[in-house]
Amino acid sequence: MQSHTKRGSAGIMLLVVFLLALITELLPMEAQAIPIYARQTGQNCVACHAGGQFPELTSYGRLFKLTGYTMGNRADVPLAVMATASGTSVNSKTPGTGDTYADFPQNGLVHFTTASIFAGGKITDNIGLFGQWTYEAYAQQDPNGHWAGHSGSDNFDLRYADRFIDTNKDLIVGASLNNNPGVTDVWNTFNSGFSSIGPGYVPTSNAAGNGGPFVGTPASPIIMQLGPIAAGMNAYLFWNNTVYAEVGAYQTANRIFSFLSQGIPDSDMPKLKGQLNPYWRLALNHDWGANSAMVGLFGMNAEIYANSPDTFGPTTRYRDVGVDAQYQYILDPHTISAQFSYIKENQSYSDELWDSSNPNYAGSFSNSSNALNYLRLKGTYVYQAKYGASLGYVAVTGSADTLAYTSSPDGNGNPVPFGNANSTPNTHIWIPEIFWTPIQNIRVGLQYYKFTEYNGSSANYDGNGRNASDNNTAFLYVWGAY
Amino acid sequence: MSDATKRPIRSNLGRGYSLNKMRWLQLALVTILGTTSSGCANVERSRDLGNPNVPAAVTAVQVCSNCHGKDGNSISPNFPRLAGQQSLYLAAQLENFRSHQRADPEGFEYMWGISRKLTDEQIKGLADYFAKQTPQANSAVDASTAAAGKLIFENGLPAKQTPPCSTCHGPKGEGMASFPRLANQHQDYLVKQLNVFRNTEGRPGTPMKQITHLLDPQEITSVAAYLQALPPN
Repeated sequence: MQSHTKRGSAGIMLLVVFLLALITELLPMEAQAIPIYARQTGQNCVACHAGGQFPELTSYGRLFKLTGYTMGNRADVPLAVMATASGTSVNSKTPGTGDTYADFPQNGLVHFTTASIFAGGKITDNIGLFGQWTYEAYAQQDPNGHWAGHSGSDNFDLRYADRFIDTNKDLIVGASLNNNPGVTDVWNTFNSGFSSIGPGYVPTSNAAGNGGPFVGTPASPIIMQLGPIAAGMNAYLFWNNTVYAEVGAYQTANRIFSFLSQGIPDSDMPKLKGQLNPYWRLALNHDWGANSAMVGLFGMNAEIYANSPDTFGPTTRYRDVGVDAQYQYILDPHTISAQFSYIKENQSYSDELWDSSNPNYAGSFSNSSNALNYLRLKGTYVYQAKYGASLGYVAVTGSADTLAYTSSPDGNGNPVPFGNANSTPNTHIWIPEIFWTPIQNIRVGLQYYKFTEYNGSSANYDGNGRNASDNNTAFLYVWGAY
Repeated sequence: MSDATKRPIRSNLGRGYSLNKMRWLQLALVTILGTTSSGCANVERSRDLGNPNVPAAVTAVQVCSNCHGKDGNSISPNFPRLAGQQSLYLAAQLENFRSHQRADPEGFEYMWGISRKLTDEQIKGLADYFAKQTPQANSAVDASTAAAGKLIFENGLPAKQTPPCSTCHGPKGEGMASFPRLANQHQDYLVKQLNVFRNTEGRPGTPMKQITHLLDPQEITSVAAYLQALPPN
């Protein structure tokens, strides 16, 4: 435990030095002294990010991305860095396995969490890149349960774009090589790759558990889970700032595409079947006055080998269909925005995975297919691109499956804090946040995750007396980018 | 769910990578850079702001249009309308952005970067492009506010020694050489700029500091409302 604390302190020291360097550097407020695209365009973050919020894009930011990150002057040093320090505090650490450190790693400890290097920007008049390499200070546990850092590919989006525009028409066409379905999207309503800062950065997933991270949802649709292990080739068009259409085909990011999934060994990688797992996206956009609105549809079909990394045997077929919407009002000093997305997922399984009469029965699921529904809502207000507050809501519901959602004990037979006595993924979370951006490169925020239901009930969801509210978590972070 | 996707994939980030993979990365980057850096600049549809060979009309639609509209009739009041604006005024503003003499917040946030490598010729071309565009009517405003603004625009405020705006900006707000067109301009933009003149040194070298000195917020709002509602002429 001591060594973790030491590592945490060193992390904080590092971050403090980093932030001080940033502030010193930025006091003269030169427009050039900001990350990669800002250096390329010479503009402030607020030009492309609504109210200066990363990653939500303004109308202008959407056009910048859709035209392939090619606007401006090629940066002399096409690099930028980003770092986050954070701390979490969970409402109750018991009941659990008895090893609260294993159950809730880094809980109560403010520590250096992640650092990213970005490379990219304009390459030619038609080609540009968003490339991100991320180091997570607590990415994985060794056999003794100690956490260790790890770095690897994060979001990657290499684009070719052209724009046919005159006073009568405007057509943007483009193509992208990327590693995460939805990373190409410009409305930020559903894609996990560009979700806001959140405790997802904190490696709080319970190694012994069967439910994923303790702050978050026990299950999420496949469209949110494939970054950075999928390689996609997408083509899109945006017509008259109104109609957007995109199609993509995804496959496992290995072999020739392994540069997209650097840091993840092939043996750890879920394997997509075939090269053409389809992704699609349609959106209608309308701007009027200081307002901008979008309604859209999107979806993905993916088939994954159940015995990955083996690329044979039974598979799970996922079919995701989503509907989403966004509204923005941006007029200095006010930024108001709201996002909505709802994904319906159908999972169907090869017989071996669920049919007990099958000679190769693996006992993974009790049903031949399951449904999973994922709803996200968020509303934000930012004043002067400095002071902000938001309220988010996540609701996961799905069919009950006694084998997919179980309450199995850990290796010593102790109950795990995220057990599931109800065999459903049903979870509801409210997420209020306040944040402050004293200068555009630094943000300090406090989020609270209030669970009204977890794994199917508000009380005793694990059968051992743990309530949904025991998982309520406060999350404090400092974010910096240069 | 499959075992593979039960837990967040990010937490599966593994144990290093092989040189082989690094080679692929390098190969990919070299291929990209190699095929693209050897002069396939496409000046007819370029968004490059550092290439003096990109014609102004191309930059106008490929870049400026993102905020100001492809015909200069911007939709968002965050960004001024440029259609029918006086060419001399537009060129002077771009030069002031480029030299950082104009330092109002929006100018600094958006325009310093955009203008930093434009040549004089490109600036002239951009100014001419937008001056030639046809202004469109802007959205309606509160009639009584606009009526109060009309009085200020046409008669000034003699008690405050504020001259009529129309003296320099034309009877229809159409502007004159280095005096900008104001007709159909967004009210919000005009209010913000009048406050920049009145309260800051962000736009030096114009008589507007003195003219706006004694205006109160209601007078500023009124005259800006009147100007937004002026018919395109």
